[in-house]
Amino acid sequence: MKKLLPPAAEYAANITRRNFFGKTALGIGSLALGSLLNPGPMAARPLGDPGGSFPHFAPKAKRIIYLFQNGAPSHVDLFDYKPMLRKWHGKQIPDELIHGKRFSTMTGNQPDRPVIAEISSFSQHGQSGAWISDFMPETASIADELCFIKSMYTESVNHAPAITFFLTGSEQPGRPSMGSWMTYGLGSISEDLPAFVTMTSRDQQNSCGQIFYDYYWGSGFLPGKFQGVKFRGGGDPVLYLKNPEGMSRETRRSMLDDISALNELHFEEYGDPEIQTRIAQYEMAYRMQMSVPELTDFSTEPQHILDMYGPDVYRKGSFAYNCLMARKLVEKGVRFIQCMHAGWDQHRNLNHQLKIQCQDTDAPSAALIKDLKQRGLLEDTLVIWGGEFGRTPFLQGDIQDYKNWGRDHHPYVFSLWMAGAGVKPGLSYGSSDEFGFNPVENPVHVHDLQATLMHIMGIDHEQFTYKHQGRRYRLTDVHGHVVKDILS
Amino acid sequence: MKKAIHIVLCLWLIGCTAKYPKEVELALDTLPEEIDFNFHVRPILSDRCFHCHGPDEKGRKADLRLDIEEVALGQLSDTGSFPIYPGTPGKSAVVHRLLTQDPEQQMPPPESKLSLTDREKATIIKWIQQGAKWKKHWAYLPPQKAALPEIEHPTWGRNEIDYFVYEKLRKNGLAPSDEADRRTLIRRLSFDLIGLPPTLDEVNQFVLDSADNSYEKVVDRLLASSHFGERWAWEWLDVARYSDTNGFQGDPTRTMWPWRDWVIKAFNENMPYDEFTVKQIAGDLLPEASKEDILATAFNRNHTHNGEGGRIAEETRVENVFDRVETVGTTWMGLTLNCSRCHDHKFDAITQKEYYQLSAYFNQTSENGKGFSGVVPPVLDVSPIEDIQKINRIKSHLKELAEEVDQVETQKFPRADELPPSQSKAAEKIAGGFNGGLDENAFNRNAFQLVLIYRYFKDKDPTYANLLMKLRETKLQLRDQSAKNMQVMVMDQLDEPRPTYILTRGNYSSHEEEVFPNVPAILPSLPTTVSNNRLALALWLISKDNPLTARVTVNRYWQAFFGRGIVKTIEDFGVQGALPSHPELLDWLAVDFQENGWNLKALFKKIVMSATYRQSSKISQELKEFDPDNVYLARATRMRLPSWILRDQALFISRLLVDSLGGKPVKPYQPPGIWEEATFGKITYDQGKGEDLYRRTLYTFWRRIVGPTMLFDNAKRQLCEVKAVRTNTPLHALITLNDVTYMEASRVLAARVLRNQHTDKDRLSYLWELATSREIHEAECSLLMDRLNQLRKQYSLSVIEAQKITQIGEYQSLDQLDLTDHAVFTVLASLVLNLDETITRQ
Repeated sequence: MKKLLPPAAEYAANITRRNFFGKTALGIGSLALGSLLNPGPMAARPLGDPGGSFPHFAPKAKRIIYLFQNGAPSHVDLFDYKPMLRKWHGKQIPDELIHGKRFSTMTGNQPDRPVIAEISSFSQHGQSGAWISDFMPETASIADELCFIKSMYTESVNHAPAITFFLTGSEQPGRPSMGSWMTYGLGSISEDLPAFVTMTSRDQQNSCGQIFYDYYWGSGFLPGKFQGVKFRGGGDPVLYLKNPEGMSRETRRSMLDDISALNELHFEEYGDPEIQTRIAQYEMAYRMQMSVPELTDFSTEPQHILDMYGPDVYRKGSFAYNCLMARKLVEKGVRFIQCMHAGWDQHRNLNHQLKIQCQDTDAPSAALIKDLKQRGLLEDTLVIWGGEFGRTPFLQGDIQDYKNWGRDHHPYVFSLWMAGAGVKPGLSYGSSDEFGFNPVENPVHVHDLQATLMHIMGIDHEQFTYKHQGRRYRLTDVHGHVVKDILS
Repeated sequence: MKKAIHIVLCLWLIGCTAKYPKEVELALDTLPEEIDFNFHVRPILSDRCFHCHGPDEKGRKADLRLDIEEVALGQLSDTGSFPIYPGTPGKSAVVHRLLTQDPEQQMPPPESKLSLTDREKATIIKWIQQGAKWKKHWAYLPPQKAALPEIEHPTWGRNEIDYFVYEKLRKNGLAPSDEADRRTLIRRLSFDLIGLPPTLDEVNQFVLDSADNSYEKVVDRLLASSHFGERWAWEWLDVARYSDTNGFQGDPTRTMWPWRDWVIKAFNENMPYDEFTVKQIAGDLLPEASKEDILATAFNRNHTHNGEGGRIAEETRVENVFDRVETVGTTWMGLTLNCSRCHDHKFDAITQKEYYQLSAYFNQTSENGKGFSGVVPPVLDVSPIEDIQKINRIKSHLKELAEEVDQVETQKFPRADELPPSQSKAAEKIAGGFNGGLDENAFNRNAFQLVLIYRYFKDKDPTYANLLMKLRETKLQLRDQSAKNMQVMVMDQLDEPRPTYILTRGNYSSHEEEVFPNVPAILPSLPTTVSNNRLALALWLISKDNPLTARVTVNRYWQAFFGRGIVKTIEDFGVQGALPSHPELLDWLAVDFQENGWNLKALFKKIVMSATYRQSSKISQELKEFDPDNVYLARATRMRLPSWILRDQALFISRLLVDSLGGKPVKPYQPPGIWEEATFGKITYDQGKGEDLYRRTLYTFWRRIVGPTMLFDNAKRQLCEVKAVRTNTPLHALITLNDVTYMEASRVLAARVLRNQHTDKDRLSYLWELATSREIHEAECSLLMDRLNQLRKQYSLSVIEAQKITQIGEYQSLDQLDLTDHAVFTVLASLVLNLDETITRQ
């Protein structure tokens, strides 16, 4: 009688005592070990699902780095150049655009909605002639690597639900995040690091109060081991990573050897495969203890690389620091890296904060792309840069009060860019109307983007389901179409 | 029409030849003798067909339902064919559609990415051959006590549970395992019933007690322990998504812990589960409800509350109502209702309308979705009487003062009686009316408005101005006192019912048809004699006719003792849920539970007294292969202890645990910066001192946006969760190896060992026994002895290292111990606390 088990258990069950154990835990083959806790390609499909090989087709990318810009960067000020805004500057936005549309309570009741022109100037860059804000000179310098989508749209007008929607396919917390889905499906290619890592940073001036909820990288109803492991900026990069005071690395090692040996004796008596899992679990913890500190040591990086990421790279937990970490994690085989940066929520401080945000993120983002490229990693790594929605082409606040200008949340159209494996470089896909208010050409829904990302990783989003509470769930719910035109 | 002819033609062909594809023919031979609709057929139909041919009206294709007998077995009006023709697969359109290779005809259609295996196809064919007998979904039928099966085993079988379990084992050619040894048994019982390991005295007493009722004595002692309530409250807190903060931006602190203490008390006093249910759902509506009854309703206010800037209050309010419906649905009805928020349930016969009818019960509180603090009305003040009196005194003083101001103002601002002061001639010349202050009567003005008026009149009319200042001060006093008092969010009921509407796709502002409180039609109807409110719903849940509540409850608690429910999907008893592994046992227990007055302690006692429970958890190779998940219960289940019990155990063994019940949440050790990072530095973790560091994990402050970091495997407390979470991540090992909590416990445990025993060998044995409740084996002892000698060499050479490791944590000890020995045994204690056996209930 053969039972279908979740992937990790399947592995555990298949590994016989004979080949699993050497004399001590040190004898465990590293591959088996990594697979046990970060399971390899999904061997078994959830019960009741149709068969089919997995991944469904040859993947274009092996890894994803998602540079998530919390708070919603203003598309009309950064990537979606609309000369019309300058012409209409100060005039009320046409009624037919806003009629019946929902905004946050911050402008929902605002009597005037004057259009305001872009805050920065725009110019064209590269062979592709991409329009990019002059606040983003470094991004502009890699314009021909980028694949823009300028017709993104989403459902929610509030941050937390909209971010949750982007990352889990549902506005309500509780579903697995994209990284969990991918690692559940594709497994790990790292031997001593988790398959899904997340890092967070925020703007230095703490100008907005968005919280990073841990369900942004949660595994929802998937087993907890598929949850993103948070690498922290301050203290230990992984919680509880350091040995206690007064315990040397050698003492730890010998103590773990004893634990393994004693557990092995116990296994002989009880026969529970869970005990084998435990041995591997402790071994994996040790490997993380050994390998993570190495990761955070930037001293071996050449100066010109550090310079490329900018001076912030020396500040632990900054966006620049996290971008460099992302590259190092990619080198170590981490499958999905989610860097979240908060600070884009310019309701009342567009005129000075937007520029600061760009300064914080522009160079590191571009440096990451260049760094990956020169190491040949961009060929099988996909990078995504974008927020949870856009910002209104019209003003939040009083037009006389220049210092406090802002833009409200705008889910109806916005932009993001991708670079690397799987997407066409130097492309601008989809477009918005002349106010940057609604999509007019090739609208791309969040579920479409999710379907596309899965496709690039070799997954058919419609076939990749997990049965929970009597229902088959997908990242894309019952929606989503792969945006074929952007695929390389 | 052409298509219909084609179908009939094909059917005729199949009917004549009666030949199925070879694989299906082969599968037919391997099927059980009798095909049961509920157990074999419906799961297939529900999983692959109901999505388009089920209860959801809007998603239905071809106007065909396969979830209703009359339609599935009837003649279709358009084509004249029969979806299912009892006795004759060849005449059944369903069979043709399953077998055809024509992608136009094939069901499920290729684009659905669903398909049936050959065995599943064969199952449907055989069921039709046997007459296609239809049955209502098992969980919607009332449970009944079946006659106990015969048991042929001469010595096995202590109570009813064992009869049912044995029957299943026998049918599968299995035999029960031997009873576990006494040390394992008392350890298992202790963890299961009170969440703590036994003391050495308790173990030894039990091992030596040869009385017939020695086991029962232990059970009774544990059931009577006050730790019992703490242990069982934990799971209820997960179910109730209990937290000490609101969640979301700002994550303000709330005062819900008096409700947590109510839960502990209810478990300890063995409050009948029906009463426990009614009080938490509708305690406020009971005749002459006591304060405790109202406190119980905090259950339905434990949800998150989103007060983010820009948030629409009504949206928050509606979210909160949804949460209540779904929490009650999962907890008592075992139904996942959330799908019906947006559309008719694809699989279960619960319509969107019925969802909103249920929501009408929870839509009647005065809660309005506003409020950013942790005290969102309605609230119950559970402060000591003096503090409540203080508030009342301030309130009445405030009222007097306001009246006084109003009186003065009738003269100062002469106007018609009903008009506010701003409408008087005297006020007209004051621009802005003090930010609207004069539009209100004195009582309703806020402190800011009062200041504005005060400033204006300070010199013009000092007596009046001073009176205003007094009023303002009293207002501030009230605010401060309210913040000091303990106000628990509870349920109340509006006098005028708030209308409830179906909301399109669950959107708070898209009202469709108005609906009224009612229960789903698939379940027994409400008694007509009561007024139809939350109380009626609560009474309906625990009524004798309700087929779900007792089953769902018994099943959830069964999970705690055996690692999985008799119905594996604890949260889903609907048609998509798992089928019970032991249906007669589940029903027997459910009925018995009701007959015993919903007595939880009696239920637990029944379970732990059974021979099934007392089996050894050792796994033979054969069982590992045949029944890895222990569905048939031919052994007890080994379960890694949850992280909260791991911590409690470490504190208990080291004797650090502070044994006191209830009270304010505490803040034990946590790595620095966790709260600060999550809240952008706005909230700091103010770590507790002294006893606060050593209380049971149950009392740890739960910040919703970032739960206690040492709990690596718990429910998230965002939404109702009923399923035990057990996951093995490296994080677990890092915590129990490196966290100061465990290392402090290790060095204090080491001190205990050193104090009590004096040779290395005795010390090792003692340490081992404290951690595992059993004596150390020779091989284990020699292995540890080697390590001990190694460590002794090492630490004797490094005083500084030894000092460091023996000083972890804040605990101050007066012991004069040999430093090297203390360091050595600290490492050994940490080692033993991390053994699989120590951290597993087996």
